[in-house]
Amino acid sequence: MFEQLKNLAGREYYLISSLLLFMVFFIIVSIYLIKLSKNHISNMSELPLKD
Amino acid sequence: MQLEKFTYDNKIVRNFGIATIVWGVIGMTVGLLIAMQLFKPGMNMGSQYTTFGRIRPLHTNAVIFAFVGNAIFMGVYYSLQRLLKARMFNDALSAIHFWGWQLIILSAVITLPLGFTTSHEYAELEWPIDIAITLIWVVFGINMFGTIFKRRERHLYVAIWFYIATFVTIAVLHIVNSFELPVSFMKSYYWYAGVQDALVQWWYGHNAVAFFLTTPYLGMMYYFLPKMANRPVYSYKLSILHFWSLIFIYIWAGPHHLLYSSLPGWAQSLGIVFSIMLIAPSWGGMINGLLTLRGAWDKVREDVTLKFMVVALTCYGMATFEGPLLSIKQINGVAHFTDWIVAHVHVGALGWNGFLTFGVLYWLIPRIYKTELYSKKLAGFHFWIGTLGILFYAVPMYWAGFTQGLMWKEFTAEGLLKYPNFLAVTLQIIPMHVFRAVGGGFYLLGAIVMTFNLAKTMLKGSLQANEAAEAMPLAPVLVETNPMDQKWHRVLERKPMKFMVFSLIIILIGGMVEMMPTFTIQSNVPTISSVKPYTALELQGRDLYIREGCVNCHSQMVRPFRSETERYGEYSKAGEFVYDHPFLWGSKRTGPDLHREGGKYSHAWHFNHLLDPTSMSPGSIMPPYPWLIDQKLDISTTPAKIRAMQTLGVPYPEGFDKTANDELKKQAAEITADLKQNNIKVKSDREIVAIIAYLQRLGTDIKANKETIPSNQ
Repeated sequence: MFEQLKNLAGREYYLISSLLLFMVFFIIVSIYLIKLSKNHISNMSELPLKD
Repeated sequence: MQLEKFTYDNKIVRNFGIATIVWGVIGMTVGLLIAMQLFKPGMNMGSQYTTFGRIRPLHTNAVIFAFVGNAIFMGVYYSLQRLLKARMFNDALSAIHFWGWQLIILSAVITLPLGFTTSHEYAELEWPIDIAITLIWVVFGINMFGTIFKRRERHLYVAIWFYIATFVTIAVLHIVNSFELPVSFMKSYYWYAGVQDALVQWWYGHNAVAFFLTTPYLGMMYYFLPKMANRPVYSYKLSILHFWSLIFIYIWAGPHHLLYSSLPGWAQSLGIVFSIMLIAPSWGGMINGLLTLRGAWDKVREDVTLKFMVVALTCYGMATFEGPLLSIKQINGVAHFTDWIVAHVHVGALGWNGFLTFGVLYWLIPRIYKTELYSKKLAGFHFWIGTLGILFYAVPMYWAGFTQGLMWKEFTAEGLLKYPNFLAVTLQIIPMHVFRAVGGGFYLLGAIVMTFNLAKTMLKGSLQANEAAEAMPLAPVLVETNPMDQKWHRVLERKPMKFMVFSLIIILIGGMVEMMPTFTIQSNVPTISSVKPYTALELQGRDLYIREGCVNCHSQMVRPFRSETERYGEYSKAGEFVYDHPFLWGSKRTGPDLHREGGKYSHAWHFNHLLDPTSMSPGSIMPPYPWLIDQKLDISTTPAKIRAMQTLGVPYPEGFDKTANDELKKQAAEITADLKQNNIKVKSDREIVAIIAYLQRLGTDIKANKETIPSNQ
């Protein structure tokens, strides 16, 4: 399965840079998620039940 | 600060609800009809307006844009008002949105059977309708953002992010995939050609699934499921994580529709990697939905709406697990072009979209009519017949898909194709197609029972068109009481425009990385010197091929497998499609691939085959096309078509538009003379002559000129 991904004909940079980009983005989202306050999260998740 | 009194607009929700039901039944009925055409060609009814090629797009458009589209607007208009504690921004805009959308659907119902199609799957509607779609989508956007701006709830709940992402991405997809050069009132050519056109189309096609069939439905799931279960979503953090991951990753996955095609290998690999990664955010959504029911599973036994939601989420999980698997080349090599894909998309469409819509309708209609559901028993019957319908649909189609994939590739011990006649495979799977129609019939029966049940419910109650509500107005935020509150996401949640721009940037990245090199770097589509533009007659024939929707059953993409080169001939090269506006690679082989069709049979064979396919291929399920012999080819459009092609960069000589029809007539006369020698008398100005010219040209440019193929192809 991984053979097919290695066959990039010298265009590895597209794949590697794309994956790096996602990794950076994912880490940023994760860090801020960890920092979000519990209070806010609980308020937000209750929103549909309050209308 | 005083409580403000206002009302929610339930009438617009009801209108979209009724439209969902009506178009749903119509779209599914057309689906059942085309399913039956695949085992009983007589169901094509001998009319050009009801042949499979023309009404298959009617089915897909009706269920995607009419059934699911109206359901999205129903869900958004109901939940948005309540989550924001505000009435929709403007009632007139709501009405324009509603009636505009219905008119667009009506125009599709009229134009698609008439043969007006661009041939891009799920984007078949011609350019004037594309413009109308853009305008109505903007109306929807203004109405949604207007409501967001006048809200009484500071933070935007996760469902609304999904709605915003849907709005912005569908706008981008629709605009980029509608770059067409109009030739006449209802005819246009795509700006892109061949490989580039294929990449744009499947970037669109895949993300139409993502941002029309998935993200708005996840938004609805995040609102309606907690309401139905009366408990908050399992993990709000997970919803944030899977939202951003989903919209980032989805946009890259389009090339998995083009594996083993002439698309550059690196673009295919990018598509594979991101498709496999997609399983994580997709399952994040499914798990979040199912775990919302933790501790409430007893309710599922009682409450039919929850039953529908559970099956919907399960089907979503199955389809999004299967999607990444199908993106792996080894699996794709067998599954692509077969009924396996049809099974896959119907698990998503019938299970995820259909059942979630039914669940929401059963929950919502009694509420806005202030009454109880007319019959819980009938709703229960709908649930079971619908579930059986999905099973009866999917299982035979998986079976048919495996059969096709394996039979097409099977060799004898001597190294020859075991089933060299394509028809042998087609006939083998006919019983599976019969079962599939039974499954579709069950599902449709369920939808009809629901229509009766909900109509009775509406008659029993009375619509509360304006539902009273009250909430505190939004106080201006001058100073944050707690500096820790300034988290980026909380700021985004309060700034809808910034949120939209941020989402836009995220969804643009993937498309740009894949498209810009394919469009700008010449080595990605190496030219082949022997590939020449179509003659005027072939070009007209190609447009007839598009009009009749041949692409719905015949691919034009020979993949580099021995099983395909043995059956069809030399595999397809990127450089062969540089003048193909639009590309016609297709996505399904109900009939054989046609890319190397040119010169394979005589003109007379094609004539007889189009007149009555069974005369040349006994047992064929292809419908006959007698009108091609009766109808005169409209050559008044030739000069405009040639000029349009020249504008798009096709190297016809200067002034060719003026002489094109003379050459067209000359070529037509040659074909007619050849037919005459085979005792077939037909006038040279008939449509069939043009379509024969086109079929005989297919793939011939490099057949006799193999030395012109670049070494890297």
